[in-house]
Amino acid sequence: MRMKYRLGVDAGGTFTDFVLAEQNGEIKLFKTPSTPSDPREAIQTGLELISEDIGESIEEIISNCDLCINGTTVGLNALIQHTGAKTGLICTAGHEDSIEIRLGHKEDGYRYDPDYPPATMLVPRYLRKGIRERVISDGSVKTPLNEADVRTACRLFKKEGVESVAISFVWSVLYPEHERRAAEIVREILPEVILTVGSELYPQIREYTRTSTAITNAYLAPILRNYVESVDKYFANLGAKYPVRYFQSNGGLAIGAVMADRSVYAINSGPASAPQAGLYVAEPFNSKNVITVDMGGTSFDITLTKDGVTNLNKDIDFLRYRIGVPMIQVETLGAGGGSIGHIDEMGLMQMGPQSAGADPGPACYSNGGELPTVTDANLVLGYLSPEGLIGGRLPLDLDKARQAIKTHLADPLGISVEHAAFGMYTIVNNNMVNGIRRVSVERGYDPRDFVFVGAGGATAAHITALASEMGVKTVILNKLASGLCAFGQIISDVKYNFMATCPVRLDSSAPNKRINKFFKELEAKGRKHLLADGFKTPQIDVKRSIEMRYVGQMHECTVEIGNFEINDKTIEDVKTAFHKRHEELYTYSEPHNFVEVVNVECTLYGRIEKPNPLKLSRGAKVEKALKNHRKAIFSANGKETKTPVYDGDKLGAGAQITGPAIIEETTTSIVVQSGWTAKLDKSGSYVLTHKQKK
Amino acid sequence: MAKKAKNKSKVDPITLSVVRGILETTQREMTLSLEKTARSSVFNLAHDYSTALFNGEPEMILQGQDIPIHLGSLIPAMKVVAAYFGDDIHEGDLILHNDPAYGGSHAIDVCFYKPVFYGGKLRYWTVCKGHLTDIGGPVPAGYNPNAKEIYEECLRIPPVKIWDKGKPRKDVLNMILTNMRARRDQEGDFNALIGACQVGERNLINLIEKYGMDEVDACIAELLSMADQHMRSLIATVPDGKYTGTAVLEDAGHGFGDIDITATVTIKKDTCHIEIASPPQIPYFINSYEGNSYSGVYLGLMMYAQLPPPYNEGLYRCVSVDMGPSGTLCNAKEPAPHMNCTTTPMETLTDAVRLAFEHAMPSKVSASWGHSNGLNITGWDNRHDEEYVTMVLASMISGAGATPQQDGWHACGPQCCFGALTSGDVELLEYSYPIIIHKYSLMEDSGGAGKYRGGSGTAWEVEPLDAEMTFITFGEGRHIPAMGAAGAKSTLVDKKVGHIEVKHKGKIKIIRENVIDSIQPGDTVTNMNPGGGGYGNPFEREIPKVVDDVKNGLVSIKGAAGDYGVVFENAKTLKVDAVATEKLRAKSIAA
Repeated sequence: MRMKYRLGVDAGGTFTDFVLAEQNGEIKLFKTPSTPSDPREAIQTGLELISEDIGESIEEIISNCDLCINGTTVGLNALIQHTGAKTGLICTAGHEDSIEIRLGHKEDGYRYDPDYPPATMLVPRYLRKGIRERVISDGSVKTPLNEADVRTACRLFKKEGVESVAISFVWSVLYPEHERRAAEIVREILPEVILTVGSELYPQIREYTRTSTAITNAYLAPILRNYVESVDKYFANLGAKYPVRYFQSNGGLAIGAVMADRSVYAINSGPASAPQAGLYVAEPFNSKNVITVDMGGTSFDITLTKDGVTNLNKDIDFLRYRIGVPMIQVETLGAGGGSIGHIDEMGLMQMGPQSAGADPGPACYSNGGELPTVTDANLVLGYLSPEGLIGGRLPLDLDKARQAIKTHLADPLGISVEHAAFGMYTIVNNNMVNGIRRVSVERGYDPRDFVFVGAGGATAAHITALASEMGVKTVILNKLASGLCAFGQIISDVKYNFMATCPVRLDSSAPNKRINKFFKELEAKGRKHLLADGFKTPQIDVKRSIEMRYVGQMHECTVEIGNFEINDKTIEDVKTAFHKRHEELYTYSEPHNFVEVVNVECTLYGRIEKPNPLKLSRGAKVEKALKNHRKAIFSANGKETKTPVYDGDKLGAGAQITGPAIIEETTTSIVVQSGWTAKLDKSGSYVLTHKQKK
Repeated sequence: MAKKAKNKSKVDPITLSVVRGILETTQREMTLSLEKTARSSVFNLAHDYSTALFNGEPEMILQGQDIPIHLGSLIPAMKVVAAYFGDDIHEGDLILHNDPAYGGSHAIDVCFYKPVFYGGKLRYWTVCKGHLTDIGGPVPAGYNPNAKEIYEECLRIPPVKIWDKGKPRKDVLNMILTNMRARRDQEGDFNALIGACQVGERNLINLIEKYGMDEVDACIAELLSMADQHMRSLIATVPDGKYTGTAVLEDAGHGFGDIDITATVTIKKDTCHIEIASPPQIPYFINSYEGNSYSGVYLGLMMYAQLPPPYNEGLYRCVSVDMGPSGTLCNAKEPAPHMNCTTTPMETLTDAVRLAFEHAMPSKVSASWGHSNGLNITGWDNRHDEEYVTMVLASMISGAGATPQQDGWHACGPQCCFGALTSGDVELLEYSYPIIIHKYSLMEDSGGAGKYRGGSGTAWEVEPLDAEMTFITFGEGRHIPAMGAAGAKSTLVDKKVGHIEVKHKGKIKIIRENVIDSIQPGDTVTNMNPGGGGYGNPFEREIPKVVDDVKNGLVSIKGAAGDYGVVFENAKTLKVDAVATEKLRAKSIAA
C-alpha cells in the first residue's frame, strides 16, 4: 500500500459495511444502517464513526487513502422496485416484442400457478420502435437502415419525455454500422438522453439477450450516473487523491465513468467480492480451490473458484431480466438466520424461503416474532450464547425460541422440541448442500477438491456440518468473516470484460486467423482503457476464453485458454480442452464430431497492490480463553453434550481447539463439531480440519 | 395457527424432507445435463423432454417440472416396458422405446430407461424422454398430414435393449440411426439422453449408500402416500356429483368434420373418475393412443389442482380414467396414424376435462390457452452442404388463458406446453438453419376478451435464405378460439384464431389446414398463433386497462368497442367517450 489507509464502503440491503485497512496490516470493520433513499447519508455516518474511532478527521482519513472503493445497491434497488428511467428502444422492425415474448417461457416452479404475474416491462410496448433495416446471419445487409424511421422514433421519445434510449438490431454483432448510424441520429435529435448501443455493451450472438441487457443498462444508466457523480464529488471534496472505484458484479473494480456507461455491471455487485476475499484468506494455506459460503439474516450466498478462476454466469435471468454480461455466479438461497421453519401443504417440514428478516426477526429476539427460525433452532441447540449476540448487545430469549418451535413444528409432527430444532438445522443445512451442488457438481466440479471459506455472521454455526456432509476436509473462518465481502472489495483488481462474437465451425484452418484477429483487437481495446486509467503495462493482465460447442448444440461451454497464437497445432489443444471440459460437465464427449466457436472474450485486469497482511501474535494458553461449558445438541436424539465455550478475543496465533467446542467471536459463533479441530493461524483465520479416517 | 401435519408416518420426518430434497436435486441435475448437451432444438431450446425416477414396481417417484405433454404418458410407458422384459432385466441394460402401441406418446419422442441395480437387485429406474428432430419415415420431422396409417409416419421402436449387461449393441443402434435424417443430431441427442440417465443413476446410488435401502424405500413410500393424501384433500373440496365438459376439435383439413370430445368427471368424496368419450379413430395423424391421452387428462386435472412441483404417481391414486373403447380417437389402436397427437387432439381433450372442472368449481378454474398451430421446416443448407430439418417452436407460441386473478400471459403457450418451452433466439435459429426471420411479435386483438384478457398470440414470419424450403403445418386452432371461462366472450373472433399466410410476389395465400408446401427465397410464410381465452365478462373490464392495451397496440380501437364496449372520443389522444361507453356497455349487459 502506497499510503496510510484504504477504505471500502459496501452498501447492503440492511447495513452498510465499512472496512479500513491500515499500512501495518490492521483491518477495522464498522457497520451503519443503510439509507437507500440517499446512500450518501450512510456513508457520512460511517465516516464519522471511523473518525471517532481512530481520532482523525474525515478529511485526514480520506486524503490519506490510496483507494476509496464503493459497492452500491443503487442499481439493484431500482431494478427491484422498477424505479429506473423512462426508456425507449430502437430495434429491428418485426422484433419489437422479443423482450416481452421472453422466448415464450414461464419460469419453472410456477407452471400451473394462476397468480404468478408476467415480468414487468422496463420499456412499455409503445416505446419499442421498429426500424426498417436488416442484417442477416453472414453479416451482410439485406435491408439498409431507414433513417427516417429512426427520426420518427426520436420524435416520439422526445414527446414522451424519454430519458434513456437503447439501440439493438438483429445481427448488429456482425455488422454494427446500422446501430452506429442510428446512435448518431439519436444524439443529434436527443442530445440529452443517455444512449446504450447493444453491439458495444454486449457484442455476442443472441438478439434477445443483447436487447434485454441493453434495455436494463439504459433503464439504470441515468440513476447510476447521478449516483456516481455525487459520490465522486463527495469524496473529491473530502480531499481524495484518486478517483473512487466502484465494485461490479463481474468481481472487479471500475471508475465512475465506466460504471455510468455500463450500469448493468452494477446490479449484483454485493456478493460478487466474496471469491476475491476467499482466495485471499485461503492463500496462506496454498489453496486456490475455494467455495465461499455467506449466511446472513435472510439469505445464503455461494460462489466457487477453481484454480483461482471464479465461476461466471452469462446469459441468465436476473430478477426476471435476461442479462448477458458476465457476472460472478452467486447462488442465492432463502436460507439465513431468519429463515422460517414451517410444514408445507404435503405435510413435510421445510425451511424458508420465507424469512422473519430483521423485523420482527426470530422469536428469540423478543421483537414480536412468533415463528420458529434457524436462529431459534441454533439457540435451542446451544450453538448460540444465551447471553445474546454481538457480545450481549442483542439478547436472546430461549423460552420464546422453544415455544415457537413447539407450537409450529414439534407438536404438529409429534416430536420433541430438541428433535424438531435439530431437524430445522439439518434441513436448512441440506438446502445449503443442494445449493452448493449447483455451483460445484452442476459445473462439473467435485466439492471435495475445495476448501470452504465462511462469511457472514450466521455461517460459522453451520459450516462444519456442511463440510462433513459434502466430504470437504478444510474450512477457513477469518475473524473478519462477518464483513468479508466489504473486505473482498478492497483487495480486488480493476476488471473489464471485452467480448466479440465469431460463430464459425472448426473444420478447416480458415477460422484461425479470424480468431487471432478478434483476440488482438479486444486486448488492444482493453489495454487502452486501463492505460488511460493510469495503469502501467506491467500491472495489466489479460485472460482469454473461448465459448465452444458441438455443431447443433445450443449451449456453449467456456474454455479458458492461454495467450498464444491460434494455429493448426494450437487449435487442436483448444479442442482437446473443450472435449475434456464437456466430459467433466456432462459425463461424455464426442471427439469425432465437429466443434464450433461462438464467442471469444478477453478479460483485462489492472492489478492493484494488496494491503499488508495481518500478523496475529501468539496468545496465552488456550485454557485461559475458556469461558464456560454449555449443553449443546449434536444429534437427532436430542442428547445434550457438555461443550466448552471459548472467547475468541483471548485466543492467539497457534491456539488449537478440538471439537465438540464453541468459539465465540464478537460477531459470530463458531461451532466446532466433534471430529473437527480448529487452529488459529497468524493471518487471523481459524483453520478447521476434519480428522482423516484411516 | 400452525397447520397440523397430515401424516403420522413411521419414517423420521427430517430424513423424509432431506431425501425429498436429494431426489429433486437428482432430477434437476438430469434435466440440466440433458438440456445443455442435446442437439435437437426441439429439446434443448423447447424443453420438449422429461426426466423421471421410478421405483422397482415401477411407480413414478418423481417427475420434474417439465412439459405437460409428458405428464401422464411416462407412467404407462414405463409399466409396459418393464413388463415386456419381465425377468430379463439386468445390471448394465439400457432400453430404448418410442412406440405408442407400447405406451409411448408420439413416436418422435424417444425414451431411454435405465434400470438401477444395488446389491444385485433392481431398485430404481432413471428415465429420459425427448423429442428428436426426425424419426425416419416419408416426411422430414415426422409429421405427415397425408398418412393414413402409422406405417406411413415413422420408424417404430418397440422396447429394445441398446445396452445388454453393459455392452452397447452397436448393430441395433446403427440400424435405428440409419433410418433417420440428420443422423449426427439424432446420435448427439441419444448421447445426451443416455448421459442424463447415468447422472440420475449415480445420484441414486449415493443416496442408497448414505441412508440405506430400507430407509430410502420407506421415505419414497411415504412421499407417494403424502401426494395421494394431498390430491384427495383437493378433490374432497369439489362437491360430489357428475360434471360434463364437451370441447370441439375443428376439422384441420381431413374432411371428417368437427369432432366432439367429452369428459365426464364423477366426484365421490375424495375420489375422481374421469370418463372420456370420443368418436372412432380416423385415417389422419391426430389419433391419440392411450398413453398420450393420459397426459391430456392429467393436464386438465392440473388446471384445476394447480399444484407446484414435485410430481409423483401418488397424486393419481385417487383418480381413475376410462379413455373410452379401444379404436376411438382418444384410445387409438394400430394402425391409426398419430404423430400430431401431443398437440391435437391432446389440447381439446384437456379442454373437455378443464370445462368439466370449471362446471364443478367455476371460481377456481382458468380459461383455456391457445392451441398449437405449428410449422416444421426442411430443405438444403448450402452453407454446409447438408440437409436440415426441424420443428420450429418459435412458430407456435400462443397466448395463455386468463385466470380468475389476472390477465393471461402473452406468448406463453401452446396449451400442451403451458410455458415450459423456450422458443429459441432469432439469431441462434438463423445461425442453425438457412432462414431469415422477419417477424416475431405479439398480435393485436388476439387475446380472448374478458374481464381479464387472454394473453396475445404471436406472429412468426420466415423467408428461406437461398434455396427452396419445404414447410409442414400441423395442429389446429385456426377456426375455433381458445375457450374462455366465467362468461368471457369475444366479438372479433377472427382475430383470436390462428392461420398461416404465404406471400408470393405480392399475393397472399391463407392456409387453415395441415399441408405440405414449399416456398422460394423472396417468398415468406407467416404463422399466426391464437391468443388465450379470457376470464369473466369483458364489459366489466376496467376501462383504464382497455386504454392501456390500445396504447400498447394489443387491442385496436375497433376491438375496444367490439370486444370491450369502450368508445374513444379521440383516437389519437385515447380520450374515452364516457357516455357512449356507458351506453354501449349497459346495452350489452341488458342483452
